[in-house]
This record gives sequence, C-alpha cells and structure tokens, in this order.
Amino acid sequence: MNKDKQSNLKQILESGGFAVTAECGPPRGADTEVVIEKGNLLKGYVDAVNVTDNQTAIVRMSSLAACVHLKQMGLEPIMQMVTRDRNRIALQSDIMGAYSLGIKNILCLSGDHQTFGSQPDALNVFDIDSMHLLNMLKTMRDEGKDMSGFELNESPQMFIGAAANPFADPFEYRVIRLAKKIEAGAQFIQTQCIYNMPRFREWLRMAREEGLTEKAYVLGGITPLKSARMAKYMAANVAGMDIPDEVIRRLEGVPKEKAAAEGIKICLETIAELRQEKGVSGVHIMAIENEAKVGGIVEAAGLMPRPKAV
Amino acid sequence: MIVAEQKPLAEIKASVAQYEKLLILGCGTCVKTCFAGGEDEVATLASALRLAFKKDGKDIKIEELTVERQCEDEFIQEAAAAIERNDAVLSLACGAGVQDIASRFAASPVLPGVNTTFIGILEKQGLFIEECSGCGDCKLATYGGVCPVTRCAKKLFNGPCGGSQNGKCEVDPETDCAWQLIIDRLKALGQMDNIKHYIPPNDWRPSGAGGPRKLFREDLVV
Amino acid sequence: MTAITEKDFKPVITIFHCINTFSEAEALDLSGDNCEIRSVKLACSSMVKDVFLLRAFEAGADAVVVFACPEGECRYISGNLRAGKRVERVKGLLDEIGLDRRRLALFNIATGDTDAVKQATDDTLEVLKQLGPNPAA
Repeated sequence: MNKDKQSNLKQILESGGFAVTAECGPPRGADTEVVIEKGNLLKGYVDAVNVTDNQTAIVRMSSLAACVHLKQMGLEPIMQMVTRDRNRIALQSDIMGAYSLGIKNILCLSGDHQTFGSQPDALNVFDIDSMHLLNMLKTMRDEGKDMSGFELNESPQMFIGAAANPFADPFEYRVIRLAKKIEAGAQFIQTQCIYNMPRFREWLRMAREEGLTEKAYVLGGITPLKSARMAKYMAANVAGMDIPDEVIRRLEGVPKEKAAAEGIKICLETIAELRQEKGVSGVHIMAIENEAKVGGIVEAAGLMPRPKAV
Repeated sequence: MIVAEQKPLAEIKASVAQYEKLLILGCGTCVKTCFAGGEDEVATLASALRLAFKKDGKDIKIEELTVERQCEDEFIQEAAAAIERNDAVLSLACGAGVQDIASRFAASPVLPGVNTTFIGILEKQGLFIEECSGCGDCKLATYGGVCPVTRCAKKLFNGPCGGSQNGKCEVDPETDCAWQLIIDRLKALGQMDNIKHYIPPNDWRPSGAGGPRKLFREDLVV
Repeated sequence: MTAITEKDFKPVITIFHCINTFSEAEALDLSGDNCEIRSVKLACSSMVKDVFLLRAFEAGADAVVVFACPEGECRYISGNLRAGKRVERVKGLLDEIGLDRRRLALFNIATGDTDAVKQATDDTLEVLKQLGPNPAA
C-alpha cells in the first residue's frame, strides 16, 4: 500500500474543488460481493466513500475491513469510527492498523445508541466521545504520539473528519460545538441530510461568522427520499432529522410511481442551492441501500467528471 | 438513595422453595425509602409467600426481621440469632447488604429479594431516577450540577450528540437530554464558558474500571 | 377428595371499613346461614396496609372487601384514593400468588348507605360461588 500518497479527498478540498462523497454500508455478514457491488455503483462518481461503523448499532462487517475491500478496487474510503463499541485502546489500535492498510480518511462519531440496534443487550463502551477521538487523531498525526504519550514508530497521517447536525437541538449551541470539533482536530465536516434549507443556511451563517468555514471544509448531507412514507418514517424515527411538511407534501402531491423521481428532483435542487452557499465545499450523498441512484444524481447535478486522483 | 425493586414473587418463591424455615431480613435505609425492602415490604412479602406456599400444600415458616442497615456489622449482628435458627435468609437489602450478610454467615444460604439498580433520587411521587453512577471523580461543578456521565446515555463530555431533539434523548423520548439540561443550567448561571472549549477524556480508574474499589479511612480507626 | 359443594361452602368475608361509611358492622347484620362476616374498623380506609389485606386471607377469609368513602368525600381528603391504590396492588399480588384478584374488592359507600353495603356483600358472595373457597386457607 502506498502510504506516502495523500488523501484524494484532502487534495481536492485543499485545491478549492467541490467534493462529492457518498456512503457505503457494509453487509450483515462476511460476503465481500455486497461491498464490491456497492463500490462499483459509486466508482467514478465520487471522490471518497464513507464506510459506516455498525450503523444504527446493527452488527455489520467492520468498517475497517470494508474500507480495505473498497480500496482494493480503486475507491478511496473514509473510515467511520464510533466511540460506542470500542475503548481508547482499541480505537488507537484500529487507527494504526487502518493507516497501515492505506486508509487515509477517518470520520469521528459517537455513534447511534445500541438500544436501537441488533444487540441492545450489549454493554456499551463510550470510553471517549467523538471530540476526544478527533483530538486523538490530531495528536497521533501531528505529534506522533498515542494518547498515553508514547512515541509511535510511524504516525498515521489521517485526514480527519467529523459530523455536524444543524437540525438537532439545542440549535444555538451547535455552532459552538462545531468550533470545538474543529479546535479538537476536525478538518472536514459532513452534515446530517438537509431538507430544511433555511435552517441549514442559518447554521452555516453562524459558522461563517465564527470563521469556521475558513478552518474546515463543510460537505452538505443529501439523502434522496423515495416516497412520502419514507419521509414521514425518517421524520418520526430518526433522531435529529428535520423534514419540513412542504417536502412531505411535495412527495404526496405526485403519483406513487413518480415519488422517487420527485425525491431526486428535491436532491438536485438542494445540491444546486448548496453550490451557491459560501462556505460549502461539497456534498455528501447518503443514499441508504439506494447506491444505484448516486451516479445519476452526481451527473444530473453537473458534477461530472470527478477530478482524477493524483 | 440506592434504588432497588423487589424481584417478582414467582422468582422469589422458586428460590426459597426448598427451605422449611425462612428468615426475611429487611433493611431500614435505602431500600426502605424506595419501598422495596423495609419492614412493611418484609411483612407483605412474608404474607404473600405463606399464602403462595400454602396453596401448594406447603406450610413454610417465615420469620420477619428488619435491621437498620445490612452494610454495617454492628446492625447485621442484631440479626445473628435469627439467621442461625433459620434454614436460609432472604435479604431485601441491596446487593452490598446481601453480600455482607453472606460473608458473615457463611453457613447460611443468603438469597437476594430485590434487584439493586441505581443511585438516584425521588423526582416526584412514585418516580425514582438515576442521577449518580459513582464515577469517583465528581465534575458536577463544571456541568452546572447535571451529570453527563450518568444522565447522558453516551457519557459525552463534549455533548450533545446529534440525536438530541426538543430537549429529549434519542434513546427515550421521555428522558431529558442531559446536555440540554447542562446548557440550560450553565446559561442561567452565566457559566457557558465551562463548555466552550475541549474537555479532555476521562480517567475511568476512580470509577471502578480498575476493579472493585475500596476506601480506607485510617483516621477513623482506633 | 370430594369437591366442596355450594351447600358445604360457608364463605368467610373479612370487611375493612372506614368508620365514616358505617360505625359497626355487627349492626348491619350481614352474617347469616350463608356466610360469616368478620370486620375490621378503621379510622380511614387508607389505613389498609397491604399486609393487613393479605393476613386476612391467611386467617381464613375467602374474600376481602374494603369499604371506603365515595370520591371527594374522604374526611382525610385522599385516604380513599390511597386505599384504592393499595387494593389494586394487592389484587396484583393475589394474581401472582395464585389466589385470583377477584377475591379482593373495594366499594365506595356513602355514609349510612346500608343498601349499598348489602349489595356489595351479595356481589361478593356471587363471585365466591364461582371461585370457591380460599385454597390457601
């Protein structure tokens, strides 16, 4: 694995490009084919792919392993790490292992609580939070030391990312927390999927005012809605999700078989608006179990071709 | 107080079924205040067990006794005679009390009658909520008197997470988001600076991560 | 073992009553050929601790009845509500014990309403016809 090559995502963002990332959820089993299939759907359309870490606390193939499979087929992975399941010992260990396997991007999260998942009976960890994880990565990279102060024989040069949710409460504290994440080490931010553009704009304005968009690259989250039912389900059941009534009404206003297409239209409108916003450096397309749609969205949004990896 | 809940009757009945003479030993401190194991609960449980066994044709003899606390030898010894003359002890104390009895009366089977749960408070009539997890390094001054270790489901020190909505926790819509409470409290106190900057990771050793804890107060020993 | 027939079964009912509903159970003359009434007089129905209700069953009651004041008329404001809660809890216990919750009931009786008392007693005897004697007596 060529470890000297820089993160492709980092290069694109640093050169001022508008980045496109997407998401890949590993399978509930050891079948690599699923990962390869998803990879093939995304290849060429995105600059990097997030690989989720036991998302919604459902046991899946590890993010680390799935990242390696994607890397082997020529995609650039962003390894998601949650602090829910692993303590600082395991997390540092996995970071070093990931870098040794050529993974250069990490997204730090606390993680969905395990009560939502397939093993609510498990003991959760939360030894550290996502802020600590960001700082840990920064320290390992810039000081070459682990959390205990031990000098590493090689320091993982990771491009560090964090998540932000402009739609969760308390609203006024969100930007303070974003500042903390950047202070801790976050270099790029992926937001929760955007349907409420005015609220997003307000959050972005506050972030700009604090100078945060100068310090980190914000990628706006996009998820195509397939139906009014999906929209209503997400609005009611996904924590921190804000789907305004008008969006749901739009989907209800078209015949059922046209709803998915309408959902994509809404995505494209949002992407177009995001490209106009100062301080937004890209989009993060989370097409959950709907990866086939990503290519079409990227093309229709006028974001093709993607810059070649250097 | 330490909050506990009495085990279901069926479970208790099954655990004592083999004994002819049973002592139900209550505790007058924490479990009394949460109505799980004080003298009233001992009396009710004794009566319920006698009825339940009588229905099965068994005439179990139950002695009822409550001591001030089952976590101190001075009070435990008051029950010594009663423990000796019965086949087994059903202790309604918290897990610590049950073990204290068991360690001092090794020849007597000591069974737990309650499930010990958390350190909490009586929020309002009938409602006990967990507020302290005994982390051993109290940081309530930083967080305006709201504990992120206990009351945040993810033990975040730099919260809130993205699942906080309308002041409620993603895990349970009835549960307040601790970080919303922290922020509200700090705002009211004018102490938002406490959480403006990075708060480093916790050392979990004082919390029991290093094994069962002990506290030796040499200054109290004569 | 021959089953106890209706003829042989003389139910024992223990009544816990607040003195505000009536002052002396004996004066109501509820006992008779068909049942035996035991009574416990209380200053307020809220004084029925769980254990008293259960001990009444231990002492041989086939059914236990609590007479409390109607809602809003408790001299001690909410004593009758407390009694109601306790009766509910003990009913749950009776089910867990296997004695059947229907053996315990609370009736709200206005002061001196002897007809209501008689009705309550009759209702209880009807229930006992179905349930039979206390299996733990």
